[in-house]
Amino acid sequence: MGLRSKDLSFLQSENAAEDDVDDAMDPHSEEEESESQSESEQEDVKLMEPSKTAVYNREGLVEKLEDISWPENVDWMHKLSLDIDQEKEVDVNDDLARELAFYTQALEGTRLAFDKFQSMGLPFLRPPDYYAEMVKTDAHMQKVKGKLLAQKKQIEEAEERRKAREAKRIAKEVQAEKLKERAKQKKQEIEEVKKWRKQRQQSGFKDGKDSMPDLGFREGKAFEKSSKKRPVVSPGDRSGGKAKQGGGKGNFKNKKNRELRDSKFGFGGRKGMKKQNTAETTNDFRAFNKGSIAGNKKRKR
Amino acid sequence: MGKKRKHSETQAGEPKKQGEGAPERPKRTLMGWKDKEEVQKQTDSNLESNPQVFRNKEKVMVTCSRRINYRYRHLMLNLVSLLPHCKKDNKVESKSSKGSTLNELIELRGCSSALFFECRKNRDLYMWMARCPNGPSVKFLVNAVHTMEELKLTGNHLKGSRPLLTFSSNFEKDAHWKLLKEMIMQIFGTPKEHRKSKPYHDHVFVFSIVDDHIWFRNYQISVPHNESDKMVRGGLDKMTLVEVGPRFCLNPIKIFAGSFGGPTLYENPFYVSPNQIRALEKRKKAGKYAKKVKAKTRRKMHEQSNPLEPDEFADMWRE
Repeated sequence: MGLRSKDLSFLQSENAAEDDVDDAMDPHSEEEESESQSESEQEDVKLMEPSKTAVYNREGLVEKLEDISWPENVDWMHKLSLDIDQEKEVDVNDDLARELAFYTQALEGTRLAFDKFQSMGLPFLRPPDYYAEMVKTDAHMQKVKGKLLAQKKQIEEAEERRKAREAKRIAKEVQAEKLKERAKQKKQEIEEVKKWRKQRQQSGFKDGKDSMPDLGFREGKAFEKSSKKRPVVSPGDRSGGKAKQGGGKGNFKNKKNRELRDSKFGFGGRKGMKKQNTAETTNDFRAFNKGSIAGNKKRKR
Repeated sequence: MGKKRKHSETQAGEPKKQGEGAPERPKRTLMGWKDKEEVQKQTDSNLESNPQVFRNKEKVMVTCSRRINYRYRHLMLNLVSLLPHCKKDNKVESKSSKGSTLNELIELRGCSSALFFECRKNRDLYMWMARCPNGPSVKFLVNAVHTMEELKLTGNHLKGSRPLLTFSSNFEKDAHWKLLKEMIMQIFGTPKEHRKSKPYHDHVFVFSIVDDHIWFRNYQISVPHNESDKMVRGGLDKMTLVEVGPRFCLNPIKIFAGSFGGPTLYENPFYVSPNQIRALEKRKKAGKYAKKVKAKTRRKMHEQSNPLEPDEFADMWRE
């Protein structure tokens, strides 16, 4: 709602300020200039002709100004007003530039004021141990803090997710590379063996054991075992060797124990043993209605 | 906190007869309380000869009309909390915003200026800024309202500390801006030794003219504190401003010579009332439909007057 009115207010002539500057003496001509400029705006909903009957009583204004203004020799401490020079025209519709202009104006003003206060030797800023009623309540500031923290967390999470995605992609690529390497290596070795056999065949099996295929045994490049130890499975082990991993005996809660469960029960899970008469189930009365027989037990429910 | 006012200093109506002969006694020199016409030209000489203390006894009365919107009511309440020298009054009937009723109210409360928020059609907010006895008054249209309760405005400052007022240099460009600047300075500036004012200066008001509107911002001055009160030069550079709010944008409509009435001193030539804007928009939209209907009939006539030749291939795919 406020935003909408702001849009409407921008339909005023943009260059009115410049017109004021140029032609301070003659209100009518400035209206005519801006009139032509106003007609050139596309989404212009305002009057095509700014009011020609606008009153501008300069003398009256000046007189009133003198009436109400404080006497000349009033200390600056009473007024606390600072005039900041605004160098360039700010486009109203550019939010960021406009707010920046306001911010710089405020910053400039504060610096000037600070210098003045320093020269007068008066305290300026609030010391950190001065507690007094603030213009926004503490509860409100808590809300603000909560919102800021939530925003920060959101940003961080987004960052992390992006990084994880990137890392996963890179890891996948690396893995693909490795697999390709291995396949290539395997193929190469098979080719070599074949070549060696052909060579032997051709030269008539007479070499003995001199030229063994160069499979890289001798150079010390031993067969590369993966560092993970394969689980040792003893013959009497009905769990398929994965029992030790997840937990103890009945620990099937975790989703990560998918492998465990698969290995023990086969795919599909535990098939039988869903109902059982054990000590716990005999004494378990949860399934029975507690007070329902208090009514008429013959009535069909 | 401000010191208590001595009873002897609160006499009203006294100051007229105190001429150059009583230099010791502090005189209430707030201009609004004196008769203008006789003191007009002697103001300067009077005060130069008297080493008097100037005391700012400005009091602002803040009211609104009935049927004000929630957003504007919060804006008004925010302003009340920003100005410790204001008195909030009850809602006034809309009929009484014209004429003397408001003036009487102001006199009754003993205030020297007033801020009156008038909300029309539950949508448009007009703000009147007036100096009570016979001072000028201005009517503004308020746009772009953001209150202090918005969570994006994260700053906070002492309630009642005196603000620094910064004005952009545009205010010196023309007579009506100068008048507005003076009025704003007197209304929005907290008097120096006010009872409810707090000692330090930790916020800044920004009034700047962009596109013939007065934009208002309120920032908290925050400096990272590693030393207590002594500000080192380096600390000054790390000063940041955090916006506290509220925010609004004023569009001056008219300036009157009297309080809530009187001869018009200034009229904004570019001001279009929001009603007119809405009416124009509706008219434009109405125009669209009429044009469409017209275009349709035109097409029909055109087709009738230029009939198409029978198509050779029309029957090609028919079974």
